[in-house]
Amino acid sequence: MKHVKRLIAASAVAALTAGSALAQELYAPNLSYRTGPFAATGIPLMNGQKDYFDMLNARDGGLGGIPVNFEECETGYNTEKGVECYEKTKADAIVTQPWSTGITLQVLPKTNVDQIPILAPGYGFSPMADGKTFQWAFNPPASYWDGMSMILLAISDGDLENLRGKKIAHLHLDHPFGKEPLPLLEAMGEQHGFEVLPIPVGLSEMQNQSAQWLQIRREQPDYVIMWGWGAMNAGAITEAVKTRYPMDQFVGVWWSGHSDDLQLVGEEGAGYRAISWSLPNPDAPVMQAIREHVGDKSLASEEEMNEVFYGRGVIISAILAEGIRVAQEMHGKPDIGPAELRDGLANLNFTPERIDELGLSGMMAPFATSCANHTGHSGAWMIEWDGEKFVQASDLLQADRAAIAPLEAVAAAEYAAANAPWPIDEDCQADS
Amino acid sequence: MIYRTAGQFKTSYRADQALFPVRQDAILLGIVLVLAWVVLPLTASEFAFQTLLIPVLIYALAAMGLNLLTGYAGQLSLGTGAFMGVGAYACYKLVTLFPEINLLVAVLLSGVFSAMVGVVFGIPSLRIKGFYLAIATLAAQFFLIWLFEKWAWLYNYNASGAIQVPNLDIFGVPVAGPLASSATQYYFILVVVTLLTVVVINLTRGNQGRIWKATRDMDIAAELIGINLMRSKLTAFAVSSYIVGVAGALFVFLWRGAAEPNLFDIDLSFRILFIAIIGGLGSILGNYLGAILIVALPVLLGIVPEALGLQIKSATIEHLNVMIIGALIIFFLIVEPHGLARLWALIREKLILWPFPH
Repeated sequence: MKHVKRLIAASAVAALTAGSALAQELYAPNLSYRTGPFAATGIPLMNGQKDYFDMLNARDGGLGGIPVNFEECETGYNTEKGVECYEKTKADAIVTQPWSTGITLQVLPKTNVDQIPILAPGYGFSPMADGKTFQWAFNPPASYWDGMSMILLAISDGDLENLRGKKIAHLHLDHPFGKEPLPLLEAMGEQHGFEVLPIPVGLSEMQNQSAQWLQIRREQPDYVIMWGWGAMNAGAITEAVKTRYPMDQFVGVWWSGHSDDLQLVGEEGAGYRAISWSLPNPDAPVMQAIREHVGDKSLASEEEMNEVFYGRGVIISAILAEGIRVAQEMHGKPDIGPAELRDGLANLNFTPERIDELGLSGMMAPFATSCANHTGHSGAWMIEWDGEKFVQASDLLQADRAAIAPLEAVAAAEYAAANAPWPIDEDCQADS
Repeated sequence: MIYRTAGQFKTSYRADQALFPVRQDAILLGIVLVLAWVVLPLTASEFAFQTLLIPVLIYALAAMGLNLLTGYAGQLSLGTGAFMGVGAYACYKLVTLFPEINLLVAVLLSGVFSAMVGVVFGIPSLRIKGFYLAIATLAAQFFLIWLFEKWAWLYNYNASGAIQVPNLDIFGVPVAGPLASSATQYYFILVVVTLLTVVVINLTRGNQGRIWKATRDMDIAAELIGINLMRSKLTAFAVSSYIVGVAGALFVFLWRGAAEPNLFDIDLSFRILFIAIIGGLGSILGNYLGAILIVALPVLLGIVPEALGLQIKSATIEHLNVMIIGALIIFFLIVEPHGLARLWALIREKLILWPFPH
C-alpha cells in the first residue's frame, strides 16, 4: 500500500512538473514510424527531423528562446495508431505531422474544427496546395502532382509532345499515396497523346512483384514511373534488374530514391533516377552544426547522415522551424499557438539568401508560400544512382503549373463539396 | 457473501428461465449500464472517447457477430474484416446516393447488404467444415478487398480510392463527419450496440440459438432430430454478417471518418477473431471482455510510462506493447483456454460459495 502511495505521489509530482514545463516549450509532436513494414524508410527521415531540432535546442536554446519539444508518437504507419496519436497530442500541439497519406486524409477534415495546422512536406493530398480551401493544411515544398509533372518534363526533354505515341507505366502502391498522381498523369496522357498504364502493387505483394514485372515485360512500356514506398521500392528495383528493364527508363518519386534500396543491386541499378526536392550535402553548415551539437546523441550513423533521406528529414524540420520563426516575428511573441503557426507556415519565404543563412546551402530549392499557395512549388532535381550513391543528375526542374492548377482547383472544390459545410477562406486573394 | 444466492427462490419455470436468475447479476449489469450510459460519457475526455470507449464498443459488436457464427453455430470464418468492409461501403453508398437518409437507418440497412454477401459466401459451409471452411471464407476476404480496390463506383470514383465520411446530422445534431462531437458519436454507437446485444442475447437463448448449438455440437445428430442444416448454417451466416456489417458501418462512419480498402485487410479479421477467442467463444459477455483486453489495453499501456514520468522512446513503448500483449494472450490461453468469459464464470461460482466453500 505504501508502495502504491509513493507511486501516486511520484506521478503527481511528475504531472505537476510536466505541466509547468509545458508553458515554456513549443510542442511539435511527430507521428513517427520507426517500427513496421515502412520503418526502413522512416528511420532516416525521423532521425534527420529529430536531430535538427535537437541541434536548435542545443545551439540556440530552441526558437525565440523557447525550446521545442519534438516528441515522437509511434504509429508504425498504421492509420488507427496515427489517429490515436493525433487525439493524444492535439491538446497541446501547435502542429500535426501525420507522416502518411492515410493519416493525412483522416485528419484533414478535422483541421477546420480543431484548428491545428497539418504539415505534410512532400506528401498528402496534392490539392492541399489550394490554401483557400485547405486553410489548415500545408505540403511544401512540392506536391505529388508537381512531382509527376516534373518527371514527365524530365523524360520528355522539356516538351511533353515528345511523348506522343509512347507508353508510360505507372507502377504504384495500391494505396491513396500511390493513386494520388494518377488523375494528373491520365489528363496529361490524353492531352499529349501518350498511353498510361497503371500497374498497382497491393500492400501484400510489395515484396513479390513478379506479376507486375511480367506485365511490364509483356507490355514493354517506354518508361516506368514508380510511386513506391517502404518495402515496395526494393522489391521493384530488384525485379527490374532481374527482368533487365533498362534502368535509364525507370524513374521514381522522391520517396523511391532511398539509398538502401539501391544498395541491394549496386552497380546493376546504375542509371535509375528519382525526382527529389532535397539533395544530400554533407558539407552544408547545418550538417556540421548537427555533428557538433548533437554528435553521438544522434541515432543516425555517419553514413546515414550523408544519405538523401536524412537530409530530407533535416529540411522538413527546417521548414517547420522557419514557420515557427515567422510566426513568432509576425505576432511578436515567442510562445505561439497553432493558429499563429498557421500564419507562419503561410508566409514562408525561402530565398536563396535565407537558405544560406540557415546553413542549408545546396540542400533545397527556394520557394515561398502564401495564404492561397500552401505548397510553394519549389521545383526539384533528378537524382541518379551511379552504382554507389545518388548524385544530382539535372538542373532544377519546375512543374508545369499552368497544367496542374486547374486540376487542383477542381479537386479542391470537389473535396469541399463532398465535406460540406466546408469553410472557404474568402479574404485570401490569390496572388499568382 | 456478496454473491449469496441463498434465499432467492423460484416458484415458477418462468422465473427459473429468466435472463438473470440471480439477483446480483442484474444489479451488476445495472451498474455496468449506468457506467456506460451516464458515468463514462460525462467524465471521459476526447482522447478516452476516441481511443478507448468508441473502439471497444465497435470491436465488441464485430466480435459478437463473429461469435454467433463461430462460437454458437461452429462455422469458422476468417472473412470478418471484409464483411465489415461490405457494411462500410454499403453505408457510404447509401448516404451518398440518398443524402436525406437518416444515418441510423443507413447503418442498420447496410448490415442487410453484408448479410446477403455473407450468405453467398456461406454456401460452401453446406459441404465443407472446419479448416476447409476457413479457407473458403479466406477467399471471401481476399475477393472482397480486391473488389473494394477495383470497383471505383463503390468509392464514387474518388482519386485516392478512399471513402470519406461527409457531415451528417440527425434532427440537426451532427453525428458523423468532422463536426460531430465524440459524445454524440458514443451515444449513437451505444444505442446500436445495446439494441443488437439485446437482440443477440434473446436469439441465442431461444429456439434459433439452440438450433445453432445443435449444429455446432454434432451436425449429423442435429439433422437426425429434424434440424434443417442448410437453413441453420445460412441463417447463422446471415445474422452474423448482418451484425458484422453494422459494426463495419459504425467503424468507418462513427469512428474513423475515412477508410481505404486495406483497412479491412486480414489483420482486422484476425484481430476480431482474437477478441472472440480470448473473450470466449459461445458467450456474449466475452466479446466485451476480449475487446477491452485487445483494444484498450495497448492504449493504456502506452499512457502508463508517461503518467509515471518515465522517459521512454515511443518506438520502444510500441515494441514493449507488442511483447506485453503477446505474453498476455499466451498467458490467458494457458490459464483459461475457454476465454475471459469462462474466467468470469469461475470467479462468479467461487463468489457464490464464498466465504464458506464446501
